[in-house]
Amino acid sequence: MMTLVWSALTIGAVYALVATGYNVVFTASGVFNFAHAQFMMLGVYLSYAGIVILKWPIFFVFVLAGGVVFLAAILEERIAIRFVRVAEAQLVTTVGFATLINGAVQRIWGPSPLAVPFFGSSQVQTLFGGRVLPDELVIIVITFVIVFALMLMSRRTMIGLAMLAIAENREAALLRGINVRRLALGAFAFSGLLAGLLGPILGPQTFAGAGLASAIALYGFVALAIGGFGSLPGGLIGGFVVGFAQEFAARYLNSNYPDVVVFVILLLVLLLKPNGLFGKIRERVV
Amino acid sequence: MSVLNRLKSVPSFTFPVVAAILLLLLPQLGLSDANQRQLLLIGFLTLLVSGLNLSLGYAGELALGQPAIYATGAYVAAYMGAHGSTDILLQILAAIGAALVVGLLTGIPGLRLGSWSLAMTSFFLVLLIPDITNILINVTGGPSGAVGIAPPTLFGALLTNYGFYLVCMLSVIIWLAFMRNLVTSRHGIALRVMRQSPVLASSLGISVFRTKLVAYALGAVPAGVAGALFANLDSYVSPGSFSFALAISILAASILGGATSVYGAVLGAVIMQLGPSVSTSFQQDALIFYGILLIAGGVLLSDGLTGLITRAWKRYVVRPDHVTRSTTHSPQDFHFEPMAGATLSVKGVSKSFGGNVALRDVSLTAERGQVTALIGPNGSGKTTLLNMICGFYPIDAGTIDLDGVRLDNRRPHEIAGRGLARTFQTPVIPTGITVSQAVLAGRYSPERVSIASAALRLPKFWKVRAHDEERVAQTLAIVGLSELADEEAVSLPLGTRRLLEIARALVSNPSVILLDEAASGLDEGEVARLAVLIGRVRDAGGTVILVEHNFRLVLSLADTIHVLAQGEIIASGAPADIEVNPRVLKEYLGVKDVGAAAAAIEAETTGHAS
Amino acid sequence: MTGPVEVPVAPLLEVRNLAAGYGDIRAVWDVSLTVHPGKLTAILGRNGAGKTSTLRVIAGLTKIGGGSISFREEDISGLQTHRRVVKGMALVQDGKRVFHRLTVEENLFLGGYTLGIRRRKMPAHLTRIYDMFPALGERRRVVVGQLSGGQQQMVAIGQALMAEPSLLMLDEPSGGLAPAIVDEVMSILVNLKKAGMGVLLVEQQVEAAIEVADHVVVLEIGRVILDSPAREIVDLDVLKEAYFGKARVTNESSDNDGPR
Repeated sequence: MMTLVWSALTIGAVYALVATGYNVVFTASGVFNFAHAQFMMLGVYLSYAGIVILKWPIFFVFVLAGGVVFLAAILEERIAIRFVRVAEAQLVTTVGFATLINGAVQRIWGPSPLAVPFFGSSQVQTLFGGRVLPDELVIIVITFVIVFALMLMSRRTMIGLAMLAIAENREAALLRGINVRRLALGAFAFSGLLAGLLGPILGPQTFAGAGLASAIALYGFVALAIGGFGSLPGGLIGGFVVGFAQEFAARYLNSNYPDVVVFVILLLVLLLKPNGLFGKIRERVV
Repeated sequence: MSVLNRLKSVPSFTFPVVAAILLLLLPQLGLSDANQRQLLLIGFLTLLVSGLNLSLGYAGELALGQPAIYATGAYVAAYMGAHGSTDILLQILAAIGAALVVGLLTGIPGLRLGSWSLAMTSFFLVLLIPDITNILINVTGGPSGAVGIAPPTLFGALLTNYGFYLVCMLSVIIWLAFMRNLVTSRHGIALRVMRQSPVLASSLGISVFRTKLVAYALGAVPAGVAGALFANLDSYVSPGSFSFALAISILAASILGGATSVYGAVLGAVIMQLGPSVSTSFQQDALIFYGILLIAGGVLLSDGLTGLITRAWKRYVVRPDHVTRSTTHSPQDFHFEPMAGATLSVKGVSKSFGGNVALRDVSLTAERGQVTALIGPNGSGKTTLLNMICGFYPIDAGTIDLDGVRLDNRRPHEIAGRGLARTFQTPVIPTGITVSQAVLAGRYSPERVSIASAALRLPKFWKVRAHDEERVAQTLAIVGLSELADEEAVSLPLGTRRLLEIARALVSNPSVILLDEAASGLDEGEVARLAVLIGRVRDAGGTVILVEHNFRLVLSLADTIHVLAQGEIIASGAPADIEVNPRVLKEYLGVKDVGAAAAAIEAETTGHAS
Repeated sequence: MTGPVEVPVAPLLEVRNLAAGYGDIRAVWDVSLTVHPGKLTAILGRNGAGKTSTLRVIAGLTKIGGGSISFREEDISGLQTHRRVVKGMALVQDGKRVFHRLTVEENLFLGGYTLGIRRRKMPAHLTRIYDMFPALGERRRVVVGQLSGGQQQMVAIGQALMAEPSLLMLDEPSGGLAPAIVDEVMSILVNLKKAGMGVLLVEQQVEAAIEVADHVVVLEIGRVILDSPAREIVDLDVLKEAYFGKARVTNESSDNDGPR
């Protein structure tokens, strides 16, 4: 039973990380970056390349994954976001960039899933009566650390405040001397860097596979919808809700049901609480 | 050039009709089986893309679930075909029903949030295909696919190869005709209005949510039809045919052909279907290619190849020789039909945003056959009150009613449907439509036509269209814009656009007309014309509410003036009283030496102050 | 069309023949004005006259369509908004556009964004603002959305002052405020002026504005119809004409005579 909880927490943490990536970019630039899950997938593939093919020391694998995805994120902002003003066109261009990464990854590494070995110990631990792998624990802990650090940053640092300011009123932020465009680019770059650095950590759990991005994109989105757009704690909780729903559905129904259950949750959340648990309800302005 | 000019005079549907007939005859002209199959696949893809166009291009909502709807149609037909219902028309009807159900099931929740939520909800459907086929393994055959589908029949007779081809192609042609009729009808204009300005749409009585939902759910129909046909192509269906990659290539075809077009879907489908067969390296790099295409398409070509062609056509062939005339003749002495005005009462309305009180206990009444003016300095709450009357903000306390029927806390489009028409501070005129189309948009709520009658061109459609045209022409004449009926509405000068907005409000035969700063930015002559027009609406019995800064206009036109300051009504009364009310002068004009200023206005002589 | 230069001191802000917008949506046709250090220039005119648009162009929020803007004798018409803020201009927009979801203190911190992220010397700046607006000092941790309109206006002005601008522009700071608070706002402007700041004020409250102004510019349909030192306006006729009267639409708008 506890083993199930550990794996639900692990998988939930992965989704929470996707939701967090969406949130960081969304807060600073108002863009829903469809391609964020592809960034994470790219990070995992690069980790595979670094660890298995190039056999680099783990530190350099982190640098490789973080650096390349960082650059990819900047590239996306430059070609697919900056000059596209209309939201629906941005949807199309971000889907396009996601497709581009999918295509490139399959072209380079082929369509079959690849295992990424964990750089640390792979000794199964027993914790609170459940069995858990060290890499799973790392994922859970890292997720909490990242989300709490970002929450602190958003209220305690000037950059964090500036991002909240942009999210609320772009023009007013400009008038306080905030370089809105640079911060938007910065948010993209940061989300990319984070996604890349997570590659070697997530890889052992998720594997490097062609379908990885679409799946975590969707589950991450459900996490976001549950928690509410723009809410960091909401994304964290939403991720765990999805993780638990999936693991328990797989265990107690059968392996065909996890997605169906998550889908039903998504529909219910959108119907009953479209702003999510922590979403801010805004008065409509004409 | 002369050939091209002659081509222009041919009705717009001629080319598609000729192309359709040719297409139907092709197999008789010795088309090979392989090519025939290619054509069928292009046809199916066209249906899928066209459905997406309706939702993405016309309603502005990205849907990525077409493969799932396609699969739904296919499995429904497969199940029927394997269980004795081989009639292809029955299968198509059942597939349409199933597609609509899936469309509504995902559309209702998916459209609740911003534009991402429909994209993701519908995308999720594609992820579910393998699971659902596994769960329903008895029906679908699971991963190995549905087999044992009997060959299709039509009215009891087995379909020949050519017969099947005809059914498929006719389905495509009928759908495209349906789509064309829909987007050229008033519903097409409603979609255009909604996409560009949801606020305007709801002010015209168009429900934004419902319109988007209908567009998205209708977009599922062709996908369902395509699925039913696809199941009968090889009498075999497997989940592998409905992948994420298909979703992406449908999107790419839509962008490539132009999402906001009817026939662009054909172009996009041809390229996407034939492209991979041209070279093998294309297949290998398909995703990379699609990705680049989507980025480029999103950045550069908001209306795809079709848009490029149309623009080139307009630029090089049509070449307009007229210069946009800003001249408008003055309002004609047309007989102004009596208007059924209504009494609007606002009672004790309050509203606050956070800790900020925007309106405090505001009451006023606007009577039929009268002009009721609302004035006040910036930030006094005029706009807030206006938005509450129109239903854009919920009210905290009080009531608003129209002839005794409560309006408060109803949705804007419902309020518009009850006969409340408005204009905007900054005229909201959608791009890409003519003056008469812009006015036509105002006819949406007074006389309704169902989508079915519009798309199928039923008698009701023609009747209302005739009525629409008559009313639009009449109204344009009243405001003096008849000569500009075919000009592009958005390129008119400001004053003319304001008149156009008034025409759009009048054409719905409203019981109450709300004018928000209608005179601002107008020159003297235009203000005079506006005043005449407002006077005539009043004389015809309409209820006019004027929110205005132009003090002189208000003084000369209004029967009653209400003055707002800091969210409260500080004075109400006839113009003569308001003009000399000391509080009004103080609050509204910031004049401190009230006595002198009042004297100054009254005598129009020098007032001395500090 | 330029106003008479009356002070030999180099102007802080000099706007010449400004135009903005396109076609007939053009809100600003031809506006020239100057602001000197320690002086207040008021822009008056009725709604839709182009006052707000003029401020937007000067701040860089709306693209300039013609003419020039120089700030401290440097042409800034090509700079992005945030660069202009760094150079020392601040705009307080109308409608109390502060960050409603953040607290008073967070709003003020953001006001000091240009001082540098690492410079945690902000407490001194904060104290200065709280001294100026004691009501804010008592509500540091209150979310701005919950404050009254007058307090929000103070946050907006305080936020702009955090960056220590040399030019403060305000768009209808009296909008929706009670007369007593308007007086308070105006007296703050007088104090800022005395401290050497240049102020560009857009107002609808004519007399309140003229009382604190050194120079007055009246706009009508995007053009200057009156440009005069404030003290010379003893006759409010022209202003009345602009407010109550019909629009003066003589194309070569000259500002010589009053109405009739």
